[in-house]
Amino acid sequence: MDSLKTEEEVEGPEMGKFPLIRLLDVSKVYHLESGDFTALNHVSLDIMENEFVAIMGPSGSGKSTMMNQLGILDIPTTGELQIDGRNVVKMTPLERTHMRRDMIGYVFQKFYLIPLLSAYENVEYPLILKYKHRDTSGKAAAILKSVGFDEEMSSHRPNQLSGGQQQRVAIARALVNDPKIILCDEPTGNLDRKTGLQIMDLLVDLHQKGKTVILVTHDPKIAEYAHRTILLDDGRVVAS
Amino acid sequence: MRDIFFDLSVRSVRLNFMRSLLASIGIVIGVVAISSMGMLGANMQLSVKQQLSSDVNTIMISSDVVRTTSTAGTPSTSQGVTKSQLNDIRNAAGTNVVIPIHRTNTQFTIGSTDGRGSIYGLEPNDIEKFLTIETGEIPRGANDAVVGSNIATNFNLVVGSRIKIGPPNTENRPTVRVSGILPARGFASDGINTDNAIIVPDTWYTNQYGDKDVYNQVNVIVKNVDTIGDVESVIDEKVNRKTDVIRISDASSRLTSITQTLGTITTFILAIGGISLVVAAVSIFNVMMMSVNERVQEIGILLSIGTEKGEVRRMFLYEAFILGIIGAVVGGICSLVIGYSVVSAMIGNTAYFFLPDSIMYVPYGMVIGILVCVVSGLYPAWKASNMDPIDALRSE
Repeated sequence: MDSLKTEEEVEGPEMGKFPLIRLLDVSKVYHLESGDFTALNHVSLDIMENEFVAIMGPSGSGKSTMMNQLGILDIPTTGELQIDGRNVVKMTPLERTHMRRDMIGYVFQKFYLIPLLSAYENVEYPLILKYKHRDTSGKAAAILKSVGFDEEMSSHRPNQLSGGQQQRVAIARALVNDPKIILCDEPTGNLDRKTGLQIMDLLVDLHQKGKTVILVTHDPKIAEYAHRTILLDDGRVVAS
Repeated sequence: MRDIFFDLSVRSVRLNFMRSLLASIGIVIGVVAISSMGMLGANMQLSVKQQLSSDVNTIMISSDVVRTTSTAGTPSTSQGVTKSQLNDIRNAAGTNVVIPIHRTNTQFTIGSTDGRGSIYGLEPNDIEKFLTIETGEIPRGANDAVVGSNIATNFNLVVGSRIKIGPPNTENRPTVRVSGILPARGFASDGINTDNAIIVPDTWYTNQYGDKDVYNQVNVIVKNVDTIGDVESVIDEKVNRKTDVIRISDASSRLTSITQTLGTITTFILAIGGISLVVAAVSIFNVMMMSVNERVQEIGILLSIGTEKGEVRRMFLYEAFILGIIGAVVGGICSLVIGYSVVSAMIGNTAYFFLPDSIMYVPYGMVIGILVCVVSGLYPAWKASNMDPIDALRSE
């Protein structure tokens, strides 16, 4: 995909149906002291709603950069990134923040829970961001319960939880605002095999409930859970 | 329900309790410095105002230092207010009380103890017009005298005591008899400072020192203080017809001048107190920067899951505000204790300490302390909110 592709030529399984995520000739160039580094090189891609996609590739292939674009943590240097029909590049920083808050749930390899908050408060936090007040609906508690947390465990701070428990909290946090997209960056990378499989079961369950799940992984066995694998190399999509 | 960002800030302060406490101590010192110094200045002003305002209805007239220019072109200095000028003043003053005053410095001996002080020559009937006799009475005889409180106390004088006037070892020194003792008067705004003075009849004074028809000062006590300006104008027009030969002032202008000077001194010492707040501000800034640098990854998490920049800024400003509140509250309490001690030690009078003009420096210092903290937290908060979430997440 060296050349600029038209909308009809972008990669995707269900052409004709409006994609939830669309990358049109997206490039990301970092300006380093040693010179420009192209992390994504003219990538065009569609991801439809309720897809389960794995992004794979060797180190330095652009997986993290791709995740940062999909998670709206960063914007392309050139090209167009559309999420839910809106061009992210043309949005204001505040609009991007709100889209990240409302549409995307992020699950990180290192869990990235807020250390000063309890498990419950970590899950409640995105609700507070969205509704500007503490959760009185019981939604945070219900989501935590759905990932196997009881009330006593919910009061624990992240440093009092195991890796698997922390990742469950992270998933609960990602889900609490009912986002359309769940982005998972090596979600099992810091977990033992058994716990990793439990987490993957949770993600499969979410996909079955209608979420669009996108995960980055090195592990081909984890990638097998996905229905489509996007293979990146040197900033380009080499297989999709 | 509390704001979660406030909760996060409280928890961060708790987590780094010792560091936060030490930073707050800087604010405590700053608040104490500003409040105590402010209260000291305010109490000084209030105390002086109270002392001076009792004589606010008095016009003081003295000879101008340079009265005329002689034909040779060299200035000649006046010796005092002359008899004819006094008559003009009396005419201009109308029904207001006019008191001509002789004054010089003298040495004296009481028993075998020598002393030094002022000696005033006054018409005995004028004495009671502006002074109160605490013990005894005004001079009735030609050799009677009234003494000030300091002389009476220091030399154990009572009514009937004798004072030899003039330098020691002088033969045939005149003697006066104490007929009355004055209460402490302090610094008087009418220019008659009696605490270290002997007041003798004007006839006795002019017999000893001459200058019968020349007065060092003439005071006019106006009956209605609101007319003081008009009376001054009339006297000025009458006596300073061709050239300024007398200088006219009143206690209110002196009061204004002194309170302005004290106000300047208060501002100066407040500024010195303010320096400690600048030091505190640096300390708070340092602590806030440490807090930001230690929480880079946490900031990255917050930003990556949809926290607005303004919310991150608010979180760090809350932290600075909490440090400010701790410092201000402790500083405010300490200010009351230390300020009271300082005022008591330096002025010797705490009667004005709890008046609004004085006590207002406590909330004033507290608000400044909090503001300093919040301002010190502005840059760290701005820095935190503008972090790149990707870089922040990568940091360890």
